[in-house]
Amino acid sequence: MAAARRLEPHPDTPFRYGPRVDFTFEGKPLWGFAGEPLALALLAGGVKVFGRSAKYHRPRSPMCLHAHCSSCLMRVNGRPNVRTCDTPCSAGQSVERQTGWPGAGFDLLRSIDVVYPEELRHHELFTSSAALSRLASPFVRKMSGAGELPSGPPPMALPAEHTRARVVVIGAGAAGLSAARRLARAGEKAIVFEAEALPGGRLLDGATWIEDDGGGAGWQKWKSLADPAGLSGIELCCRMPVVALYPGRPPTVVAAGEERVRVVQPQRIILCNGAYDLLPLFVGNDVPGVMTVRALDRMALGHGVVPAEPVVLCGDSDEVLRLGALLAERGVELAGVVTRRREGPQLEALQEKKIPIVFDREPARARGGRWLHELELASHRKAEPDRLLDCGLCAAESPPAPAYELGHHAGCRVFFSSSGGYRIAADSSGRTSRDDIFAAGHCAGAADTAAAMAAGEQAAGACLESLAQAG
Amino acid sequence: MPKTIVCRCEDVTEEDLKRAFESGFRDLESLRRFTGFGTGFCQGKSCLCHAARFLASVKGGDDMVSDPPRTRPPLRPTPFSAFAGAAPEAESAREEKP
Repeated sequence: MAAARRLEPHPDTPFRYGPRVDFTFEGKPLWGFAGEPLALALLAGGVKVFGRSAKYHRPRSPMCLHAHCSSCLMRVNGRPNVRTCDTPCSAGQSVERQTGWPGAGFDLLRSIDVVYPEELRHHELFTSSAALSRLASPFVRKMSGAGELPSGPPPMALPAEHTRARVVVIGAGAAGLSAARRLARAGEKAIVFEAEALPGGRLLDGATWIEDDGGGAGWQKWKSLADPAGLSGIELCCRMPVVALYPGRPPTVVAAGEERVRVVQPQRIILCNGAYDLLPLFVGNDVPGVMTVRALDRMALGHGVVPAEPVVLCGDSDEVLRLGALLAERGVELAGVVTRRREGPQLEALQEKKIPIVFDREPARARGGRWLHELELASHRKAEPDRLLDCGLCAAESPPAPAYELGHHAGCRVFFSSSGGYRIAADSSGRTSRDDIFAAGHCAGAADTAAAMAAGEQAAGACLESLAQAG
Repeated sequence: MPKTIVCRCEDVTEEDLKRAFESGFRDLESLRRFTGFGTGFCQGKSCLCHAARFLASVKGGDDMVSDPPRTRPPLRPTPFSAFAGAAPEAESAREEKP
């Protein structure tokens, strides 16, 4: 049985795609909608194990669905290591798994996990004699590895466009869009680079809610924020992830799309490249079927691919509780919401819907072979589990890890805290330790989406000020 | 087997971090070099934070955690064809072709 089923798309979803198309998965016919993430077409088509992990050959299945992790890699049209969550489904695609022997579905190398239940020190493996080491290394390389080589020659050099610009905004999420709109209002020109196919970031999450004048769902805010009418003079480049930010003066931004590369030397940069979602640490947190909260939001609310079996949600944020209520409205069965929250309108909404709520517990162990089937809960994860929930999917929340890397490489000061991870040091106006680089939103530690929007405005204001001073 | 995975790309477990720390790898960089977390396909996006938090908890404070490992581009897997096209020499090489 498939782990997920399809619903009619939600009427408000920002994600639209084309007609039904056929593709093949390891020779078997499957179908999807043109343009939807391939990973979701695979999940809806009954694929559970997407690949095997490098060392212990544990089954892997999508975890983040935001092109950050490595759990949905497959070979697509003869090209290995393709993120299926970031690849649009298209007619005639040939999709295969690339790891495991004889295959990812049934993998005899899984025995490594059993033989080394505690620790496999790969540095010390087969190193007792030089001869043994020489014999073993080619074998070991084959057994881990990242798939076969591509079946055809790589594409020639992509066309590149070298330009200068006044301002580059990196990331078109809540912070980036707000910054861009502020710049547009002042008549400033800017290039905005976005990795995803749609701008919006967290505003694309169905469970986002912006608490301002009256409040509104993230999808409504997305409509007004991404409206081109408010972005005149702004060049928005989607599916163009920035892969490098070289620290010269002016700094050099490299954005690499599928078909072209942009190299821009701007006078000012506003970093708004968000944060990565993490899974909390508990035993079996890598079992297929355990994913981040935003992954489930994207899949179920955004794309209408909902879990076929009951779901457990773990976390304390408004988004987690709201996602629970929205999933229930869509007819998804919830095995439980595990939270330390005790009150609030979101919690009451769940109680009204008779959704079981488990207080003061957290995930201690996920169980399942090729897919999750139960979750053990404990008062804290090192304690003896005292609750068990049967489920077919678990979405668990952990504080996100800010995407500090581009700023760090460009020379901006970065600092660490256990609650917020590494993030770019920025003052309340988004000024970093470099006078030509500003940072706003989750990469600089914004607490939520509304804070990210406000920070984007502030940083754009400071950026305009500094441009005016420079003359 | 019951394992708590910190780094999904390289299969580094929480136990691995503890053992490595006990073996004397007590700062982020040597911990990373020994266990291999953060060196896989995603380059640490989903594990670096966990590892830094682990260090902060065993060493007793956030200020005991050093700066992150040096960042090197590309930020995400990027085909060589992209960099081949982006190099300034590539422009002139293309023009010179007959």
